[in-house]
Amino acid sequence: MSSLFGSSSAVPQTSEEIKAAVMRQLQQEAAMANARSLIGKINKHCFQACVPTPGSSLSSKENTCLSSCMEKYIAMWNVTSKTYIARVGAETKRMGGQDAAAIASMAAGQPEGGSGILG
Amino acid sequence: MEQNIDLTKLSDSDKKELNQVLTNEAQKSNIQQTVHHLNEVCWQKCITSKISSGALDKSEEVCAQNCVERWMDSSLAILSKLDNMRH
Repeated sequence: MSSLFGSSSAVPQTSEEIKAAVMRQLQQEAAMANARSLIGKINKHCFQACVPTPGSSLSSKENTCLSSCMEKYIAMWNVTSKTYIARVGAETKRMGGQDAAAIASMAAGQPEGGSGILG
Repeated sequence: MEQNIDLTKLSDSDKKELNQVLTNEAQKSNIQQTVHHLNEVCWQKCITSKISSGALDKSEEVCAQNCVERWMDSSLAILSKLDNMRH
């Protein structure tokens, strides 16, 4: 149990080490996928908002707008996330433990993944 | 990082634990995807004026909150109507 994260270069041997390595990789990839989605959305919406008519280069005004827009998008993401998670918690409780997030994800047009509501 | 991890060496209890972790991560990722979708929808509805600062002003924040709540209302309403149609 002791030296799990010490030498990450060594090939994980014990069950304990393998488990830790898989978890680490899983979390890294999940974080990466989430960041990639966020960056894509920011680029899409901020390009639309800040560069209405693309010139031969980005003006300083456009540059300033892009950094404000990025901050704003992330600020709003945090509000959205907080509000959504609170609501899902309340709905889950109201529905007697049924996973409200899985239900809402259907409305978001997502393919059902992981723990589905029907399974 | 990903060198030859031999999953067959996992003990049953660690397999079980990993399975649980995976289920949790899948759920987390599902929630994050919905938040991405929602944020996009609400951004279009709530950020209508020129972007002049990186912070959300109060009205934008309230709009974002209302947007999420009403979106949830709508999805639940639609799903319950669909559910009724089955009976």
